[in-house]
Amino acid sequence: MVPFTYLEPASLDEALALLAEHGEDAKLIAGGTGLVNLMKQRLVRPDFVIGLRAIRALAGISEKDGLRIGALATIQSLEVSELVRRHAPLLAEACGHVATVRVRSMATLGGAMAHGDPNLDTPPALIAMDGQIVARTRRGERTIPVDRFFTGYFGTVLERDEIVTELLIPKQPAGSGTAFLKFLPATQDDYATVSVATRIALGADGTIREARVALGAAAMVPVRARMVEAALSGKASDEKTLGDAAPLVVDAIDPIADFRGSAEYKREMAVVHVRRALVEAAAKAKEAR
Amino acid sequence: MVKAPDTLERADNSQGVRCRMVAASLSGKAVGQPVMRVDGIAKVTGRALYAGDVDLPDLLSGRCLRSPHPSARIVSINVGKAKALPGVRSVLTGADVPDTCYGRMCKDIPVLAKGVVRFVGEKVAAVAADTVEIAEAALELIDVEYAELPAVFSAEEAMRPTAPIIHPEAVEFVPGAAASIHGELSMYPPIPNVISRLRVRHGDAASALASAHKIFEHSFAVPSVHQGYIEPHTCLVAIGRDGLVDVWVANKGPHIARTHMAAAIGVQENRIRFNPVAIGGDFGGKGSLMDTLVCYYLARAAGRPVRMVMNSFEELTAGNPRHSASITLRTAVDPDARLLAIDARVIFNAGAYGGFVPVPTLHGGYGELAGAYRVPNCAIEVLRVYTNTVPCGHMRAPGAPQVTFAVESHIDMIAHALGLDPVEMRRRNAIAEGDLTPLGEKRRHLRCRETIDAGARAFGWDKPKSPGIGRGMSTYEHPPGNFGLSTVALTIGIDGRITLTLGSPDTGTGFHTIAAQLVAEHFAVSVDEVEIAQGDTLSSGFEAGASGQRLTTTIGQAIAAAADRMKQDLAALAAERLNCAPSDIGIGADGSFSAPGAMIDRRTLMGWAAERGKAPLTCQGENTPGRHSDRTSFVAHFAEVAVDRETGQVRLRRIVTAHDVGTVVNPITHQGQIEGGLIQAVGQAMSEQIVLKDGAVITAHLGDYKLPTAMDIAELETILLPGGGGTAPFSTTAIGEMSNVALPAAITNAVFDAVGVRLVELPISAEKVLEGLRAQASAA
Ligand SMILES: Cc1cc2nc3c(=O)[nH]c(=O)nc-3n(C[C@H](O)[C@H](O)[C@H](O)COP(=O)(O)OP(=O)(O)OC[C@H]3O[C@@H](n4cnc5c(N)ncnc54)[C@H](O)[C@@H]3O)c2cc1C
Repeated sequence: MVPFTYLEPASLDEALALLAEHGEDAKLIAGGTGLVNLMKQRLVRPDFVIGLRAIRALAGISEKDGLRIGALATIQSLEVSELVRRHAPLLAEACGHVATVRVRSMATLGGAMAHGDPNLDTPPALIAMDGQIVARTRRGERTIPVDRFFTGYFGTVLERDEIVTELLIPKQPAGSGTAFLKFLPATQDDYATVSVATRIALGADGTIREARVALGAAAMVPVRARMVEAALSGKASDEKTLGDAAPLVVDAIDPIADFRGSAEYKREMAVVHVRRALVEAAAKAKEAR
Repeated sequence: MVKAPDTLERADNSQGVRCRMVAASLSGKAVGQPVMRVDGIAKVTGRALYAGDVDLPDLLSGRCLRSPHPSARIVSINVGKAKALPGVRSVLTGADVPDTCYGRMCKDIPVLAKGVVRFVGEKVAAVAADTVEIAEAALELIDVEYAELPAVFSAEEAMRPTAPIIHPEAVEFVPGAAASIHGELSMYPPIPNVISRLRVRHGDAASALASAHKIFEHSFAVPSVHQGYIEPHTCLVAIGRDGLVDVWVANKGPHIARTHMAAAIGVQENRIRFNPVAIGGDFGGKGSLMDTLVCYYLARAAGRPVRMVMNSFEELTAGNPRHSASITLRTAVDPDARLLAIDARVIFNAGAYGGFVPVPTLHGGYGELAGAYRVPNCAIEVLRVYTNTVPCGHMRAPGAPQVTFAVESHIDMIAHALGLDPVEMRRRNAIAEGDLTPLGEKRRHLRCRETIDAGARAFGWDKPKSPGIGRGMSTYEHPPGNFGLSTVALTIGIDGRITLTLGSPDTGTGFHTIAAQLVAEHFAVSVDEVEIAQGDTLSSGFEAGASGQRLTTTIGQAIAAAADRMKQDLAALAAERLNCAPSDIGIGADGSFSAPGAMIDRRTLMGWAAERGKAPLTCQGENTPGRHSDRTSFVAHFAEVAVDRETGQVRLRRIVTAHDVGTVVNPITHQGQIEGGLIQAVGQAMSEQIVLKDGAVITAHLGDYKLPTAMDIAELETILLPGGGGTAPFSTTAIGEMSNVALPAAITNAVFDAVGVRLVELPISAEKVLEGLRAQASAA
């Protein structure tokens, strides 16, 4: 690793000022699980590393028109939080699939978004729940839907001087069920070969009012399969209907070949797991009614 | 013949180890007892000293610049800027080190590349600096100009007449290394890039194959894998003012390493001292010198001690992994499914240097080519081939896992083709008392069938199973190693306590605990009264080091010899003290000495002896190295998998492992070897693989090189069949390489049983299984 100067601002304003001052030479660090690896591989070489840990305003989980999650909330705290389990079980489930307990207790949800890695488990879960990202610069604050946050491989819409402060999860629709599937065919401690997050909301008549389908490890960015969602809207929630819609996912994805499988295999596995996740979400939605 | 269940001992993992096999002749104090690790507390409290913990005044950090090309001529190297960086104390290139090459079997490894590089990761230059960071910054300032040369990565391609020759110059052999136990060994035969070829014949395989009822031929491929030890290769070299070279290195065989180093650097053996350090896992991979020689030359150039630690990237891309292999087996069977002849050809990809490839005369790799079966005719050919890839080294039973995957898959394929149950196929052909091994070796106390039966019964081989569930088995036989010299010293102090001085580190297996138990057993004392002192290479007798399941046997024999001498000396002392003939002296169960009507405890005796200048008392002992023992170990593994037909995913549900064992010296370490070996094998079956792209390792971190985790391990049941014959003095058999070798084939055999897909290449991947299912569907 290349030597750097570590700065630890005590407030968000101070952090924004430091970030503005050092610009290209600085990197924010939250849990460090992503950044430190990039630094060790010398893919990133910041002169200044700005630690967010001391900023109280970025911590905590609260309930207000849904959930507000501080950017520094660790994956582990989200996995076990009662509030999250109640209001956003899909996120708790996705967090439970992240790496190992050691990584989970360091990595943060804000870091998972800002990292921009398409292979992570939490972005598809947030997309399927219509999650939003609150980000701040010295010029002001903006709110970005998670499904418009990612721009490319390790790329996001964040400006150089912008800090993710909060993640918002709106109240989930009544009569909805969710499912998260992480396909791990090699070892259980791995990034997904493909991961799928789904949410299905059923109407009073039992037809699908609204569906959400999002995938990780399936393209250069976490993706939302809008074609599948559209095909299911207003349809019955039986296995045949869900299964017939699942293959539409291939138009939304563009997986790359790596140690976790060829592109073709990942495409096929996306179809299988979208179907399985839809079936599971529909079953839970029926129970919820 | 089936053993009644009550003669079996089971170690059930969920309830801890429950097996005790104390023969009537044992004291009940030491051998056979679940003794805690003698080095356990030091290790878990962080007090154990590893090579990376050693600190010396003025210590520098060394780092190497490595080649980005698999094959290239070094046109020029400019180190001017690196030398000028503040904090840099020495910079070396191939031009600064002697021309001598080093190695254990043949001397073909340069300390730093001389004019050419032969693999991605080869050391081209080295820097010693005040800190690791400065050393790494200096590496970036070194300019190397390369002219790329043609490269070859697969062993098969390297043997073609048009292949580039990787070592065109003559290579020096280490005398003795090229002697063969079996068959005909030729070093550098006239085939491009072949380091060695071994041909072993027993009987007449060609005629048997020509006239056989049925012949089966299958080919297999096994990838290179990493040993996966936790501690990376680490070394530290300090050259004293008097010229004594002090070395601290994570090495499993310090005496042998010292000898190689002495030859390479031209310093007398007794002017080099390898100091004892704890070792954080070895699995065979800590036998070569790795960075030690570079470290020595850096220390010499800087006039200060230097430490070098390989980082995990270097470990995975330029360590000394297990050889990849391709294996073809052709087997003749008679109408009763009895094996008549095996013709086997194995090609091991050795990488760019052969210096530390397993010596082909060792049993590993070819002795297993016909398994533990009665095969009257064998023709075996083993080739080791240079390629422009990472030089390979030793790993837990070198050669055997690759070959056994092939044999145990092949036997299963033959059984299925003949419509025979795989268990029955193996029962019918397994060697039994009186049979010779396929290479014509004698074994005694063979209980292969009994072990297979005991495992099959515990596993429920014949029980009904649901669709998608598959069951498979595999076997492996191997004797303990009885080669190489072991020398130990026993000292009994004036307080009566006993110290064992030995030259072998405990590589993590628990061997020091075993050694303490063996010593304690000879004197009928508890292990607390025995101290283990790992000597440096100047103060301890020669020790060939951990390999080939040998330490318990060879050091055990050395301990027995020393203990015999010491007992005679003690009996003489006791006789003198008690006024009787030494032959009248007996050793009591409490370790005391008795004569008719008189008794003296050890401490009192030693106190008395000390007053007369006869204590402390030291006795040396050494083993008599021979060939492999005629006593052996045998294992049968059973695996159950579930296969998802839609994804190809294989889930390992259950393993039963049945072992024919002699005396178990320590049930905890014994079970540790079984479980650790099986987990290592699960990784090699299911996920581990060193992947190359254009000759460079691209599985360069543990995120891509996938070791199994606790979540990947199946339910495990261990069956021990105690009472098997073992080697003297306590009738022990080997365990260290028994658990890891054969399991992968049991798993792939289970996959076949589940869905009819045969995997002939490791590791298993869901995608390969799915492809197999597709091929099956389109064929139907
Ligand atoms: C061995 C291992 C295995 C893993 N496996 C998985 C897995 O299976 N699934 C999974 O989902 N994740 C996994 N992860 C975690 C994931 O890869 C990222 O490391 C993690 O999500 C990053 O979170 P962090 O808080 O550690 O971020 P950091 O490493 O601190 O930062 C990551 C990036 O985000 C930026 N950043 C951080 N916080 C903010 C902020 N508030 N505002 C703006 N920018 C910010 C940083 O500057 C940096 O560029 C694994 C990690 C490791 C080390």
